[in-house]
Amino acid sequence: MALTTAQSGLSRARRGVAPGGPGGPANRKSKLSAQTSRTFFWLLLPSVILLVLIHGYPLIHAGVQATHDGSLIQTGNFVGGENFATVLSSPAFWKAAQFTLMFTIVGVFGSWLVGLGLALLLRTKIPAGGTFKVLLLLPWVVPIVVSSTAWNWLVATPDSLIPSLFRNLGLGTPLFLADPNLAAITVMVFKVWVSFPFMMMMISAALASVDTTVYEAASMDGATRWQQFSQITLPLIARSTYISWILMTIFCVNDFPTIYLLTGGGPVSATTSLVVLAYRTVFQDFATGPGVAIAFLMTMTLVVISVLLYRQIRKSSVE
Amino acid sequence: MSAAVHAHPESGPVLGVAGPAKNLRVLSEAGHRGQWWRFVAILAITAIVLVPIMVTVVLAFTPGPTSTAKGLTFENLANVFSGTLAATWLQNSLITTLATVTVSVAVAAPAGYVLSRGRSKAVSGYSLLLFVMQSLPIITSVVPLFILFAGMGLVDNLLGITIIYVGSTMTVATWMMAAYFDSIPISLEEASWIDGCSVFGSFTKVVLRNSLPGILSTAIFAFLLAWNDYLVAIVFLRSNEIFTLPMGVQSFFQQNATDWTSVMALAVVMMLPPVIVFATLNKYFSVGGIGGSLAGR
Repeated sequence: MALTTAQSGLSRARRGVAPGGPGGPANRKSKLSAQTSRTFFWLLLPSVILLVLIHGYPLIHAGVQATHDGSLIQTGNFVGGENFATVLSSPAFWKAAQFTLMFTIVGVFGSWLVGLGLALLLRTKIPAGGTFKVLLLLPWVVPIVVSSTAWNWLVATPDSLIPSLFRNLGLGTPLFLADPNLAAITVMVFKVWVSFPFMMMMISAALASVDTTVYEAASMDGATRWQQFSQITLPLIARSTYISWILMTIFCVNDFPTIYLLTGGGPVSATTSLVVLAYRTVFQDFATGPGVAIAFLMTMTLVVISVLLYRQIRKSSVE
Repeated sequence: MSAAVHAHPESGPVLGVAGPAKNLRVLSEAGHRGQWWRFVAILAITAIVLVPIMVTVVLAFTPGPTSTAKGLTFENLANVFSGTLAATWLQNSLITTLATVTVSVAVAAPAGYVLSRGRSKAVSGYSLLLFVMQSLPIITSVVPLFILFAGMGLVDNLLGITIIYVGSTMTVATWMMAAYFDSIPISLEEASWIDGCSVFGSFTKVVLRNSLPGILSTAIFAFLLAWNDYLVAIVFLRSNEIFTLPMGVQSFFQQNATDWTSVMALAVVMMLPPVIVFATLNKYFSVGGIGGSLAGR
């Protein structure tokens, strides 16, 4: 069954899905005349040119840079896998990889759990429900530059609002951005705060496609709330959950501003993720080769993840 | 449902928000019994979640440390616009964002149409390619593009960052448009072909004319990406008067870290357009843009 994105007006008026892909009846082939192919070619051309310029060429060039000892000005000499060896043997790389992994796990599951809780709360009619829905999307809509500034004001110094609050409650004065462990936790909480609305929207859309009479029938049969949740709700949102997990994984691994703007990767590289490390290596240490090598290793990992996701989406659209 | 049902993760991180464990008990249509409890819970959570945003707004209109004003004031906004390059930054952001939105939609709509109606190995291969490209870290392309653009005079230049924004929004935008075109029955086009319409004619006259919601949600996505971007800006923009708002806010924040009221005034200026767009157009905002289009295809 196709999930509808009900709240967006994108309800999919599908009339009989032809096997092999979305949309349209099977007699499409007959229309694929020479004229159609020609038109399709021209319609696609601008997109192809852009893809080659902004994605294709840079990827190939990055491959060149990762295997040369050049700089931002010149390509330098071919050094083979030396940059990769340098990167893979540096403790900073593994530390950043470890932080990226933690950041991603907390980011994905944290935002999913909060988003799920709120989507379930907002599911039934409550006063001003629509208003809450819009208000709760704000963290995701407000530019990161703005929200990181606000978070900074709230936690940065011992005299900021939240540390003062802790102090007045007799809990000591936490240094949210100066203590390495606390800084890591703060950045992750910040990421969850930014991302949960996305999850909430995904889950809400999936829930909207569920017929509520199913629940009435289930409670007549004596199913408990928990059983209704685990037997009905979870299976129904499983697919969109899976997709949103992988998407959020991609978002978290690629995230630069959330971390860089709140902590700059510090204190003492405690919150340096792979992207931040790559950025610093290239633009602050001017070690182009190793920096691009880090980006390249990330790229390979993400290709695998996104191909997995793509197959999942394709598979489920033929149900 | 072919997807395996994943076990509920039991070791979720503990967050400073009312844990969902409590919420799980409120699932079915329980009538009015739990209504007030839910309302209070949502109210409390929303209040906590919005603290950073409220702080920004309140500080922006609070008299600054050197001010003599009482109560709420527009002084900070006035100071920011008279004493900094805020107006230039705002203009730069508006120009790049509008250009990105226009060109992204103009490129993504035709390509999305081909993805939606096309039936060949090449088309599905291209669809996969777009999909993989959108998931790659921008940092990988940024370094080579920096070198390429430096030779073309496109570094520290609004056209340069606009080209990159269009390139990076286009992948997802194409998917979003394709997802929307999927929902338009092909019978409409078939009818116009019988009337002697060309394929291109039916795309513009029949399909596009009925696609305003899809175009709007794609435009909103492109708008948010271009308006909020920081990574491309920090690499490509070097001089103060070429900054877009994110760079402006950040540089201003670093120079005036003690003058919070002015920093927040500028932050509010930056926050306003996305919030207004969202408040007025949120019904067109398909489930997190990309997420919606992916879940929908």
